[in-house]
Amino acid sequence: MSKDFSQESIRKLTAPWFTPPSPGYVFNIYSDTSEFYRIEYGDIVILNDVAYLIRHNAREGRFGLDDEVKFWVKRAIDLNTGETKIIKLVFYEKFTARVGGIDFECFRSPRKEARILDLVKDHANFMHGFSVPDDKGNIVRVLDLIYGKTLADHVRDMSRGMEHETYFYKHFPDILKNFIKCARAILFLHENREKHGDIRRDHILIDRETEYWRWIDFDYNFRHRENMFGYDLFGLGNILMYLAGMGDILIADLKKNNATALNVLGEEDMNIVFNNRVANLKKIYPYIPEGLNRVLMHFSRSANVFYDKTFQLIDDLDDFGSGFFH
Amino acid sequence: MNFEFNRNILIAADESENAKRAVLYVANLLGGMKGFKVTVLHIVRESEEDYFSDDAQKDKWYKEYRAKTDTVLEEYRQILVDAGFATENVSTRSILRYCPSMAECILSERDKLEYGTLVVGRKGLSRKEEFLFGSISGQIVRTARNCTVWVVE
Repeated sequence: MSKDFSQESIRKLTAPWFTPPSPGYVFNIYSDTSEFYRIEYGDIVILNDVAYLIRHNAREGRFGLDDEVKFWVKRAIDLNTGETKIIKLVFYEKFTARVGGIDFECFRSPRKEARILDLVKDHANFMHGFSVPDDKGNIVRVLDLIYGKTLADHVRDMSRGMEHETYFYKHFPDILKNFIKCARAILFLHENREKHGDIRRDHILIDRETEYWRWIDFDYNFRHRENMFGYDLFGLGNILMYLAGMGDILIADLKKNNATALNVLGEEDMNIVFNNRVANLKKIYPYIPEGLNRVLMHFSRSANVFYDKTFQLIDDLDDFGSGFFH
Repeated sequence: MNFEFNRNILIAADESENAKRAVLYVANLLGGMKGFKVTVLHIVRESEEDYFSDDAQKDKWYKEYRAKTDTVLEEYRQILVDAGFATENVSTRSILRYCPSMAECILSERDKLEYGTLVVGRKGLSRKEEFLFGSISGQIVRTARNCTVWVVE
């Protein structure tokens, strides 16, 4: 039997969280979410007989999203349990991404994210949630909220005013251990023929409660060419460089702060895709161990051999880590 | 030793210029010589879920793309026949496949059809493109077994 979603019933269910602006306030109730931009604060979305009270659109800092408001991503309250959820509605978007001067076609894929949510439901290094079709068959994703900082914010806040050498010996070993776990999580996707699709440092949230590093946002997809995992690997390499360098080492910054370092850098020391980022960190920080630098150099312009499978990167990091971790 | 030489040649092609170069290479090298059979194979990569927002769009794209590639395959067939291959020794084949790796898909077709030689064009990717997205011809060269691979520059 269908549940009672009358105005009266909704008024009672929402009472702990929502004060209607007027006595005769009428809730907008949606079971078809196709027109997601119309769904706003105080509205109700019904999915699989569960009512959700919509709070507001998600923003950066809450869910690892970019600056602009994402009208298809809503923070909501599950009126059955009282839990806060993130509801991702279906927004089909196709666009051409440009990375290092190379164009490729990207698109959002709710089905891909739904598949992965199912796949990773017991995996600690991913966000969790489930998918549910609305009345029009839109694949809506209902996600658990993760309280915590993005990896980018975590590293920035932790390293503020700190010398790199202190960071490297004091904090980097733990950071690397967590990064390897995240890389293994990506390997798990790849072994299941899925790609993350948008690997970057603000797509890892550090769960305040469990301290697990957790991947978020897997709805990006792109028409891959031969190696469907190459772009993910590139993302992992960029994050590793960022973590080992305590931030990206950019030519523009070196010009301002460490001009002598520029004399020892050549084109071959730069990131293979981003020509303004240094990959050969040992030339900037000589105490970086050779084993780690060798891994970083796989992402440099001088690389003779690229990683084309994620396990290769993990194996090399494990080899390095066995001597580095105490 | 009774060694039977496999003279069946598989050209993996799409509508690109490098694929056409591969066809022209085989045409110029072997056209008019007896005993060779050539198949031009085109694998249409099935789109991933959600690339098209509905099935009607997907069907429309596939129909249009198929019409375009059928024309290209006919052009390739004609190039080979004009170069001296007997009509009955040239065939074309276009199939729709889900291909996480195009190289794997091509090699799996080769395995099924038992061609002695596989011919592909080389796109000439930059190093960064190869790093980000991989190279079909490179992967074929690395992983092909039980056949000879020609990569046409």
